Amino acid sequence: MEIPFTVKPRPDTGLYNGKLGIWLFLASEVMLFGALFSSYVLLRVGAADGTWSMGLMDVVVGAGNTMVLIASSMFVVLAWAELKQGNLAGYKKWKWATVACAVLFLMVKWAYEWPSKFVHYDVWFKNSAVLHQKVEEGYLYDGKKLETELLEEEDDAKLSLARLYLEKEIYVERFFKTFSKEDGGSRKAFNQAWDTGSLALSGHINGYDEAQINVEISGWKSDSGVLEANADKVLLKLGVSGDQGVTKKLRNQGGILKEMVGYDEAKRAEYELTKAGFSVNLSVAGYESVKAHPWFWRTGRINEDIGGKPRVKSILFALDESHNEENGDHKEISINTDDVKRLNSYEPKHSTFFGIYYTITGLHAAHVFGGIIVMLYNLLPIGLKTWHRDREQYANRIECFGLFWHFVDLVWIFLFPVLYIL
Amino acid sequence: MSDSHDSPNFIQYLIKLFYLVGGVLVAGTLITVIIDVAFKMSLAVSAIVGLSIALVKASFVVAIFMHYKWDKKLIMITWTMILTFIFFAGMMGLIMWAEGDIPRWGREEVPVVWPVLASLLGLILPASFAALTIKILSQSAAVAKEAAPKTKAKRVTRKKKKD
Repeated sequence: MEIPFTVKPRPDTGLYNGKLGIWLFLASEVMLFGALFSSYVLLRVGAADGTWSMGLMDVVVGAGNTMVLIASSMFVVLAWAELKQGNLAGYKKWKWATVACAVLFLMVKWAYEWPSKFVHYDVWFKNSAVLHQKVEEGYLYDGKKLETELLEEEDDAKLSLARLYLEKEIYVERFFKTFSKEDGGSRKAFNQAWDTGSLALSGHINGYDEAQINVEISGWKSDSGVLEANADKVLLKLGVSGDQGVTKKLRNQGGILKEMVGYDEAKRAEYELTKAGFSVNLSVAGYESVKAHPWFWRTGRINEDIGGKPRVKSILFALDESHNEENGDHKEISINTDDVKRLNSYEPKHSTFFGIYYTITGLHAAHVFGGIIVMLYNLLPIGLKTWHRDREQYANRIECFGLFWHFVDLVWIFLFPVLYIL
Repeated sequence: MSDSHDSPNFIQYLIKLFYLVGGVLVAGTLITVIIDVAFKMSLAVSAIVGLSIALVKASFVVAIFMHYKWDKKLIMITWTMILTFIFFAGMMGLIMWAEGDIPRWGREEVPVVWPVLASLLGLILPASFAALTIKILSQSAAVAKEAAPKTKAKRVTRKKKKD
């Protein structure tokens, strides 16, 4: 069957069918993205001071990615122009360049921009005194280095250098973008947060002390509905070695089943044993230092109560915008989890901004991904069959794809200032 | 692209234009970043500046890359775009409306002009959709009548070829 009007324009619309189709599709896409943009506007206007964009968006990376997408948009239209001149080799060259740009764009998103927010943490303290002490510990070196610069405009010499540094380098411009009519609105907001201790320190968790847990059986309920033999089987499955006497002793008198095991193993044992009618006590026997960058941690993870002690005793926190005396790395401070009121990474659950950020950029990235698949199809022999059959039809198909691709570029042109600048 | 613009010279002219537009887009991005880094602006000002530059960039993409400059006499595309734009403006208007919050009409923070503008947009949206749809329907019917004999003739010739 021949599809009508793939090359010649349809008389009543004045367009070939594909082009009208893609324009109508783009119109529906504008409505889709328009709904998300208007949601963004509503959320942005309603956002409290210091809760938007969190100073975590890297404008330079964003601008670089914008240019990659602009280049791909230009390449795709150049590819079409080559096709119109009947130059298939030139077309392929530009089209592969477009694919490369699109892949680079997605890689920057996938491997750098998105995941970096999940290993980035904010810590709030229960007590403002602890906050002040940690700021002194973390930022004093940087404050001393910039002493003259920091004190130039400062009237109040009582303020500590570390606090001035924190205020100038991190908070007042990045978080407290208050532009009230009165002077120094941002400064006021900062001062209030400082005094009440409701100021977060942000950075990466470089390491932590995690609990080593003893699993102790304190008894077994014979009326629990579990047969003795089955309860013994559970014990054997959990690594009790030896004859029946050992399991029987554990059932009757209790005793320590596992010593110094990790959280996951202890919890699994607790679950299995409770199901088999045992009463189980978990207790923390000690803490082990772990060097790792955890993902998706929340307050509940660090202060989970295990026999009266927290699951994580302390975290090694590398502070943002601070520098180590020796090697210039971020200054690491140790934070006891007892002092922590709240800890969170920048997952959507904890931040309205990142909620709408991942929604819009995710949908946009899905469009880029779909575009890559269509481009590859058009470049492979199966797609090129159309070119060998009817050159005009193939050129029109590429033009339609180009229209879609420009639209994807268009969305990003608006997303860039909206997400990175506002 | 309409058929009259398929000559090789025109394509060469277009290619030059594409490079030029690419340069404009890169320059626009750079200007946005430089303004953001160099000046401290309030949210309203940075929104106006950032979105104006984005709007200029977007117009270049639509006009040149998407060939709208040469396609605008094709009435269907123009209507599609106008309808979409009205939808978009209406949506933003409704958002302003929500922000203006009609029940608290007199509250100080929101100038009355915003809810009024927003409600006008909200009225214009369905009204213009109805009006434009009627217009499109009547127009395409008229063109179809003129074109009808031609299509019939084409069909006849095709059949002859197959025979």
